[in-house]
Amino acid sequence: MKRYDCLEYLVPLITDHLIVTSQSGQRIEWGHLSKHDGNLLLGEMGAALAVAAGIAAALPHRRVIALESDGSVLLTLSSLATVANLGIDNLSVFVFDNGAYSGTRISEPTATSGRTDLAEVALGAGIERSVTVHDLEAFKRQAKAALGGKGLNFIVCKVEESLLHRDIPRPDVDLQENKYKFVRYIQATEGKLPPFIGRG
Amino acid sequence: MEAELAKRLVGGLGDAGIDFMSYLPESRLSQILPLMRSDPRFRLAPAASETDAVSIAVGATLGGKQSACYMESTGIFVSSYQLVVVALHLRVPVLLLVGHLGGFDDQRNSFLYSLPGRLLLPTLDALHIEHTVVKNGDEIEGDIKTAVRTMNALREPVALVFTGDFTI
Repeated sequence: MKRYDCLEYLVPLITDHLIVTSQSGQRIEWGHLSKHDGNLLLGEMGAALAVAAGIAAALPHRRVIALESDGSVLLTLSSLATVANLGIDNLSVFVFDNGAYSGTRISEPTATSGRTDLAEVALGAGIERSVTVHDLEAFKRQAKAALGGKGLNFIVCKVEESLLHRDIPRPDVDLQENKYKFVRYIQATEGKLPPFIGRG
Repeated sequence: MEAELAKRLVGGLGDAGIDFMSYLPESRLSQILPLMRSDPRFRLAPAASETDAVSIAVGATLGGKQSACYMESTGIFVSSYQLVVVALHLRVPVLLLVGHLGGFDDQRNSFLYSLPGRLLLPTLDALHIEHTVVKNGDEIEGDIKTAVRTMNALREPVALVFTGDFTI
């Protein structure tokens, strides 16, 4: 299964969702595939899951999606226990697990190439709807269910390592410009802005 | 911390518009937690690590909340990465409420805490995080309002570092 194919499937399913991506290939691929104003493309690993959880806690009636990677989730495993105990039921987490730190350019293996099973770790942390999918059809079934309805979903997507993102132009919107676009989208859809906006 | 001081601290947070707080509890300011939990103005988000607490507070701010993040001094070391790559890089205001465990005026200081306590303020300086040390409750409500105004103006985290009377 290829990450790009999974993301390509997700794009038309997005309506008013709020999407947070971690830094890695999926940030580039998602930024290329989706021009949704509700995209927040973070610039580093180890934060997307918890940032998405904060958004979900603040806006409990909105469905929030985190696009994560194995290396990113492994960096802050405590987030799994934190998120499991937040009492949120509007967050879907997709972890694109290629078993490698692709950014190293020498494909150093992550712990999921060894003995670590992220879906089991999430389950043990208290995220009950935690599954692993190995093929595109299974991904589609899980994704469709996770994008609608309620629940805290954690879907580990076993993907082959791909260097496709290196052939895709990187997003040309910097982090702050993206942040403002994101909060303006929340303003347009919620009728309110964060308190730090509009004090000039 | 005396019960009255805890009550004023919580009242000051509410009056300043804070309506969301992520936290990893510690020993100096922990009396605020039951007060906040029973106050409908606040949504609390307990975290297993300050790394999570900072990211959650950033997310909540982007979602429209006026967020605080409460931790002890060592939590700043633990969460420095998230403070830099998320809060500072995106420029998102979060009110950091930091119990100055091990600080000069920590009334319960010990050899266990003094080194990390000494390094807290230089670390905040190194992170370019504006901060004020609050030793007593004389102007606590004003201190909180000033910090919230400053963080919204800067669009960055600002820290209130609590010591002295808050550490009794």
